[in-house]
Amino acid sequence: MDVSELRKNAKIKLDGHPYVVTEFQFVKPGKGQGLYKCKLKQMITGAVIDRTWRSGERLEAANVESKKMQYLYASPDGYTFMDNQSYEQVDLNEDVVGDDKHFLLDQLECDVLFYNERPVGISLPSHVVMEIIECEPGVKGDTATNVTKAATIQTGYVVQVPLFIKVGERIKIDTRNGEYVERVNS
Amino acid sequence: MRLSFDRRIAVFDAASHAVRSYFRSQGLREVVTCVRRSEVALEPYIEPIEASRKWLQTSPELAMKGLLARGSGAIYQIAPVFRRAEIGAMHREEFRLVEWYRLGAATEKVRRDVEALVDCVFDAVADVLELRRRRVSWETRGFCELVAETTGLRLRGDEDAAALQEIVTASLPELWVDPPAQTADVERGTRDLAAWTAWFSHWSDLCLEPWLARDPNRRVHVVEFPVALAALSEVGPPIRERQRPVVAHRFESHVGGVELANGYRELRDATEQRERFARVTRLRELLALPPLPEPAQFLAELRELGLPPCSGAAMGLERLVMLACGLRELSAILPDSLR
Repeated sequence: MDVSELRKNAKIKLDGHPYVVTEFQFVKPGKGQGLYKCKLKQMITGAVIDRTWRSGERLEAANVESKKMQYLYASPDGYTFMDNQSYEQVDLNEDVVGDDKHFLLDQLECDVLFYNERPVGISLPSHVVMEIIECEPGVKGDTATNVTKAATIQTGYVVQVPLFIKVGERIKIDTRNGEYVERVNS
Repeated sequence: MRLSFDRRIAVFDAASHAVRSYFRSQGLREVVTCVRRSEVALEPYIEPIEASRKWLQTSPELAMKGLLARGSGAIYQIAPVFRRAEIGAMHREEFRLVEWYRLGAATEKVRRDVEALVDCVFDAVADVLELRRRRVSWETRGFCELVAETTGLRLRGDEDAAALQEIVTASLPELWVDPPAQTADVERGTRDLAAWTAWFSHWSDLCLEPWLARDPNRRVHVVEFPVALAALSEVGPPIRERQRPVVAHRFESHVGGVELANGYRELRDATEQRERFARVTRLRELLALPPLPEPAQFLAELRELGLPPCSGAAMGLERLVMLACGLRELSAILPDSLR
């Protein structure tokens, strides 16, 4: 693949190992060469490295297969997922799941990624709906839409939400950046 | 911080209005030119997007110079432009360039326009967001002076590829990345273009931008570029950095470490322009980039109609609005990137 196809969550092969792009930054002087600055996570060991490529360079895509699975529970062995057709279960350790753990709700359907038949990561739906279990009350009369407050969701993750959000309400979160999207009316 | 939908609409409305009022007050006329073109200005690292046997413009420069050559007088436009595969926090494949040209003017006057536009758009946006209006003064720094200040390297800006490599690697080998196209069968001009472009990109990323970004309010014009980076600007004796033999009359304007505008004293010599395009074409060939035609119509206009002495600049509208909002991510301000 061409380096210009790099994106967050792209899977590439470097020195024979599979990596996932966890952070991605494109910079370029207007008339200069583009630079692709990436943080990469080794999909098996979880080791994180920095790499920079220049426009025009070529990369090898990692051959990662994905399978639809359901999240069951967390245990000292890690996070357990089940294939709904074969009932086969796999455990993914914390390094592999990384920050995605904040959005794992029981029975959430997501893609589990396999490299050489080994589970190496998950791919969450782009949005998840979560319930607020704790937050400060909003200040009445403040209508400025850019003002936010901290709120805790079921998984313990803390997200910035607008002031009108209350405990017990459900919100949509973008799993790619962990940000609040909108209130969900049920 | 991300702007609400209504504020996104309001800041762009305020910014476009401010830009138009400013140019009108200065006597420049707004023009429109076609976005889809049969030729684009050749650049080694700006890729046009194809649109049914033509290209979407990467800048309105050739079109506007065509108007200038026919006697339009001082003009501006807010032009949609397209650059393939430029996607990042501060890059989009489609954006708008505020581009303008003044007759008989030195780049100095055009830099004053950059400053005035930044002020009037910052004020307009501050009013929408109910922020405090403020004035920040600009610094003008020579290219080689900034290289010396950020790295300690002494450059003249007219070194060939080999001399540049020797100077950089002698004291700062970590600031050198081997550029493409450095074999003996490649003409000197193309080698110099490749080496300077690669080194400039590397220096800009590692040294210049972090140095400029130390103060988020800092506003700096970088002037008098190395001759190999002249692009479509005129080369001549320096005005500021007198110790240099020859410089490109090209400048870049940065706000808080973000490149916002690029300006030239415009090259009028058709022969010289053609040679520069040929070097780019050769470099693109060596980089295995898609072939682009020589801008024959533009060259004919330069040769036959003649471009009046003029200076111009182009400024990214979305980036300008983003900076005026005190933000550093386009997704936080673009009205249609809000889902």
